[in-house]
Amino acid sequence: MVGNPDDGREPQGVWHLMRPIMGRIRLAMALAASGALCGLGGVASLALAVNALLGQAPPWLWVGGAGALIVLAFLARALAFEVSHLAAFRLETLLRTRLSDHLARVPMGYLVTAGTGSLAKVMQDDVKNLHAFVADSTPFLGRSLAVPAATLALLVWLDWRLALAALAVLAVGVATLALSMRNRDTLQRRYDQENENVNSRVVEFVQAMPVVRTFDAGANSFSRYQAALERFRDVMTEWLAFASVSARLSLVFLGPLPTLFALSLAGVLLLGQGSLGFAPWVAALLIGTGLADSFMPLMWLQHFIHKANGSAKRIQAVLATPALPEAETIESPKDSSVRFEQVSFAYDGREENALADVSFYAAPGTVTALVGASGSGKSTVARLIPRFWDVQEGCVRVGGADVRALRPEVLMEQVAFVFQDNFLFQDTIANNIRLGRPDASPADIERAARAAQAHAFIEALPQGYDTLVGERGGRLSGGQRQRITIARAILQDRPILVLDEATAFADPESEAALIAALSRLMRGKTVIVIAHRLGTIRTADQILVLEAGCAVESGRHAELLAADGAYARLWRRHEAAQAWTLTATDSSTKIEASE
Amino acid sequence: MTTTATTVDSLARSFRRMLVAAGDEAPALRRSLWLFAAAAVVEGLALGCLFPLFHALLATPADGAAAARWLVLMGALVALEGALRWWANGSFTYSHHYAQVGHQLRLRLGEQLRRMPLEKLYQRRTGELTATLAGNVDELTTPMGMVSALLLRALIAPSVALLVVAYWDWRLALLLAALLPAAAWLYRRRRRALAKSMRRLAAAHADTSAEIVEYVQGLPVLRATNRTGARAERLQTALTRLEEVQRQDQKAGRLPGLLFASLVEVGLWLAVALGAWLVASGTLELATLAAVLVIAARFAEPLSLFIGVASVFDYMEAGLRRVEALFAIKPLPVAPAGAAPKGLDIAFEQVSFSYEGSDERALKDLNFIVPERSMIAFVGPSGSGKTTAVRLIMRYADPHEGCIRLGGCDLRALEPERLMGLVSAVFQDVYLFNDSILNNIRMGRPDATDAEVEEAARRAHCHGFISRLPQGYCTQVGDIGGRLSGGEKQRISIARALLKNAPIVILDEPTAALDTESEVAVQQAVDELVRDRTVVVIAHRLSTVVGADRILVFDEGGSSSRGGMTNSWPSRGCTGACGRPSKP
Repeated sequence: MVGNPDDGREPQGVWHLMRPIMGRIRLAMALAASGALCGLGGVASLALAVNALLGQAPPWLWVGGAGALIVLAFLARALAFEVSHLAAFRLETLLRTRLSDHLARVPMGYLVTAGTGSLAKVMQDDVKNLHAFVADSTPFLGRSLAVPAATLALLVWLDWRLALAALAVLAVGVATLALSMRNRDTLQRRYDQENENVNSRVVEFVQAMPVVRTFDAGANSFSRYQAALERFRDVMTEWLAFASVSARLSLVFLGPLPTLFALSLAGVLLLGQGSLGFAPWVAALLIGTGLADSFMPLMWLQHFIHKANGSAKRIQAVLATPALPEAETIESPKDSSVRFEQVSFAYDGREENALADVSFYAAPGTVTALVGASGSGKSTVARLIPRFWDVQEGCVRVGGADVRALRPEVLMEQVAFVFQDNFLFQDTIANNIRLGRPDASPADIERAARAAQAHAFIEALPQGYDTLVGERGGRLSGGQRQRITIARAILQDRPILVLDEATAFADPESEAALIAALSRLMRGKTVIVIAHRLGTIRTADQILVLEAGCAVESGRHAELLAADGAYARLWRRHEAAQAWTLTATDSSTKIEASE
Repeated sequence: MTTTATTVDSLARSFRRMLVAAGDEAPALRRSLWLFAAAAVVEGLALGCLFPLFHALLATPADGAAAARWLVLMGALVALEGALRWWANGSFTYSHHYAQVGHQLRLRLGEQLRRMPLEKLYQRRTGELTATLAGNVDELTTPMGMVSALLLRALIAPSVALLVVAYWDWRLALLLAALLPAAAWLYRRRRRALAKSMRRLAAAHADTSAEIVEYVQGLPVLRATNRTGARAERLQTALTRLEEVQRQDQKAGRLPGLLFASLVEVGLWLAVALGAWLVASGTLELATLAAVLVIAARFAEPLSLFIGVASVFDYMEAGLRRVEALFAIKPLPVAPAGAAPKGLDIAFEQVSFSYEGSDERALKDLNFIVPERSMIAFVGPSGSGKTTAVRLIMRYADPHEGCIRLGGCDLRALEPERLMGLVSAVFQDVYLFNDSILNNIRMGRPDATDAEVEEAARRAHCHGFISRLPQGYCTQVGDIGGRLSGGEKQRISIARALLKNAPIVILDEPTAALDTESEVAVQQAVDELVRDRTVVVIAHRLSTVVGADRILVFDEGGSSSRGGMTNSWPSRGCTGACGRPSKP
C-alpha cells in the first residue's frame, strides 16, 4: 500500500528525485529499523526479567540487557534522524542548483511562457515540500516496515495461538480499512481536482478584487469563488460519508485495545488449559499491539507521499523541459549584421505560424525598425535573435553565423537587449549597471549612467550610486529604471542592440531623457527596434512591416509612405491616434473604423 | 509540577483557540472532543483491569472465577471505548461538519475581502492573501479531529492508568509520575527550540525565496553574463546559508524530541529495575509489576507520536493569527442614514490624504468640482496624486481631512453598493476571468441578455474580433489567454462598462500601454463610453484632453507643495501652462 523504492509504477514520483541521496536514505531507514528492533528487544528482555522473577531467579542480567538495548535503540534512532535530515537538506540544495542550472539552458521563451513566478515557486516551495517526506517519513517508514514483521515473528515464537489471535484482530481492522479505501483513487483525484480548483479560484478572487470591487462591489467574482468552495465541500462531504462507517470501524479495530483484549482472552483460556506459561503471555501482551500500532502511521505516510509526489511531479516537469540543443559545429560571427533567412516559427502548441517565411538583412551599423499591430510577430522577430526559441524553418544569422551554431556565451557577447520589463536586481544601482561588464570601474559606470541620462537622478538619491533598488529600495519610476538598464547596455557595448518598445510607459517628463539615452546607446550599433509608436522611427535605415507573421513591406519611411500600402495605413492611424481628443458631450474624432 | 501544569495549560489554550476557529461548527467539535476524552478515560480503566486479572491468575491456586469476572469487565470497557471512539469520529471528523469548517472560514474571509477598504487590500501582496485563504485555513482545520484525538489520548489515558497504578502500588506510581515533569520539560524545550528555529528558518527561506525569484527573473541578464547554475554566486550563497541554518537547527532541536520519544522506555526500565528489587525484597507482588509493565509499554507509541503532532498546533496558532489579523480590519464606515445623491456632480472640498505608513501628504487641500455630464482631466507626473484622487472617488479610503461629495452627498454616507453602481472605471490593467467572453462582459450587468451583451460589444468595437474567435462569444478566455492583445482586452473591459451604463466614468490612462493599431480602436470605444457622462480622466498625452471642460494639473510630489491646483483653464489655453520642461 505504500509506494516504495522498487515500486516501478511511478518512476516520476518523489523516490525518483531522491536518487542522489538514496544511499543515505537507505542507511537512515536501516538505522531506524534497527532502532525499533532494539526497542522491541528491550521490551522483550524486560519480559524475560519478569520470567526470571517468576522462577525466583535473579533478573539482573535481563534488566541490564534491556537497559543496553534501550540505549542502543535511542542511539540508532538519533542517528537515523540525523542522517535523513542532513540528506534532506542536501537534497534541497542539490535540486535547487539543478533546477537553476537547467533553467539557464532551456529556451528563454519557456521562462516567458511558464511564467517566472511559477518557476520560482517550483524552485522554492515544491522543493521545500519534499522535506517532510524525505527527512521525517523515511526513517518512520523503515521502522513501520520492520516492527510488524519482527513482532509477528516474536509472537509466533512465543506462542502461535496468541499470534493467531492478534492476527485475527488485525485482519478485521485491515479488511475494514481496505473497505474504506475502495474507490480511493477516484475520490482522491476528484478531491485533488476540486482542491486545485479552489486554489486557483482563490488566486483569481484575490487578484481580481481591486478591479472588480469597483464595478460590482465584487459580487460576481465572489459567487464564482463561492461556487468553487461549495463544490470542494461537497466532494469532501461525499468522501467522508462514503468512507465514514468502514474508516471509523478500522480506527476502532486498529486501536490497541481490541488486540490487547483478544490476547488477554486467549491467554486466560490457554493458561486455564495449562498450555501457556504466564511469562510468555506477559511478553505477548507487551509487544502484541505493535502489529496494529504500525498501521495508522502508515496511513499518514500515505498522505505525505501523496503530497510529496505532487511537488515532485512539478519539479520533474521543469527538469524534463528540453534544453536548447547544442550545435555540432561551432561557428563564430564575422561582423555585426543580422540576417533572417526564410524564417518560419510557431509557438509550442499553436498551429498557426507566428512568423511565416520572413527574410531580411540588417547591415552592420544600421537601424531596422519592426512595425505592425500587436500579434503581427514583431516581438517574435526580436526574441529569435537572442535565441529565446529556435526557428522551425529557415535560419537566423548573427554576423553570418547561424545562432544555433554559436556558443551561448558568444551569442550573448554580440547582442544586448533592452526589453519592456526592465529587470533590476535587489542590489545597488552601481552593481545593477555593473552587471553589463563585471570588471567595470566606478568611473566607467558613471560614464555609462551619464550617457543614459541617469547620472543626475542617481546623484540626487540619498545614497547615490549605492542606493538599493528593488522592493524596499529607492522609489524609482518606470522611466528611471529603464534608464538604468540602458546604462547597463551602454556599458556592455555590444555590437548588436535589440530594443523592445522602449518608450511606451514613460511619462511625458522622462520621455525626452529616454530618447536622448537611447540615441546615445544606438550610436554605431546594429539596431533592431520594435516600435509601437511610429514617431521615433522615421529616421530608420530600414522599416520592416509585419502583418500576421509575414513581412509585407520594407523600406524607408518616405518610400513606404509613397507606396501607400500597409505602412501608410498604419501611419495614418498613428496620426489619428495622436490627434485623439476626448470629449464627453460630442464624440467628434474622425477615424476610419477599425472593425 | 508547575511545568506540567503550564504545559497542560498551553495545550488547553490551543484547544480553546481551535474551538474559536471552528466557528459555527464548534459545538460539533466540542462534542467530539469530549467523546474522545471519555474514550481515553475508559481506555485507562480497561488497562487497569489487568491488575486484578494478573493477581487472580497468579494466585495460588489460580482464581478462575475472579479472572473471568475481570476479563468480562475488561471486555465491556474495551467495547465501550470502541463505541465512544466510533461516536467521537462520527460526530466531527467523519461528518459534514469537518468539511463545513474550512468552507465557512473561506466564505467569511472572502466576504471580509469584499468589505475591507481598498487601501488595506492594496497594501497586501496578493500572494500573502492567497496564502491566507488557501493555506492558512488548511492549517487551522488540520488539528481538528484526529490530531486532537491523539493528543487527548496521549494525555488522559496514561494519567488515568497512573491513578490505577497508584491504587495498587504507590511506589511504582511515584516513580512513573516523576517522569511527567521530565516529559513536560522536554516538551517545552523542544517547543521553544522549534519556535526559534521556525523563525530562523522562515527568515532563511524568505531570503532564499527572494534570491530564487531574482534569479529566475534575471536569467536573461545572468545568462548574458554567464553566471548561471552553480556559477550564480548570490543564489549559491543563499542556498548554502539555508542548508547551514537547517543543519544548525537540526542540531539544536533534535535531542529533546528524541529523548521524549525514549522516555517511556526509560520509565519502563526504571519500573522493572525498581520492581524487581521490590519483588526480590518481598514487598511487591509479581502480578502488580507485570501489569505495570504491560500498561506502561502501551503508552510508548502514543507518546512518541504526541511530540510529533504537537507542532501542528503551533502551525495552527500561526495560521489563526494571520486569519484573525485579516478579520480585524474594519470596513469603511457608512453613515447610518443611507443618503441618496441629488445629481451626479463630484466635489472635492479641502481634501487631504496620506497613505498609511507615510508622512508625506499624497493630496493636500484639494478642491474642485466636476459638474454633471462634464469632463475633468488630471495631468501631471507620476507620483503627483492623480491616481490617489481618482481612487478616493471610488472610496479606496476616506480622506483624512475634508470631504468628497457626490450629488451633494458625502461619500461616507453612501452605501458602497450604491456608489459602485454609479461609477464605471476603466484602468490600464484589465482583469479577465477564466470564463467565456460572454460572461466576462456580462459582469457589467448580470441580468443582461445575450443580445444586450452583443450590443455593448459592438459599441465597444469588439464584436468583430470576438466573432472571429473559434467559439465566438462562448470562447473561454483561458483557452486563448495570450492571444488577446492588450487592446482587445481593454475593449472587452469597456464593453463591460458600457453594459453597466453607470452615469460616472473614470478612466485611468486606458490607452497608455497599447500600440497604435489597438489604440485607435480603444479610443473609439472610449468615445462611446464617455458620451453624456460625468467623466474623470487621467491622461498621459496632453493632446488627448484638450477637449476636457476642465484640466487639473497635479504638481510634482502633489503632496508637498500645492497638492493640486484648483485653477481651471479654458480648454485650449492649457497646453502652454502644462508643457513644463522635463526634469533632469
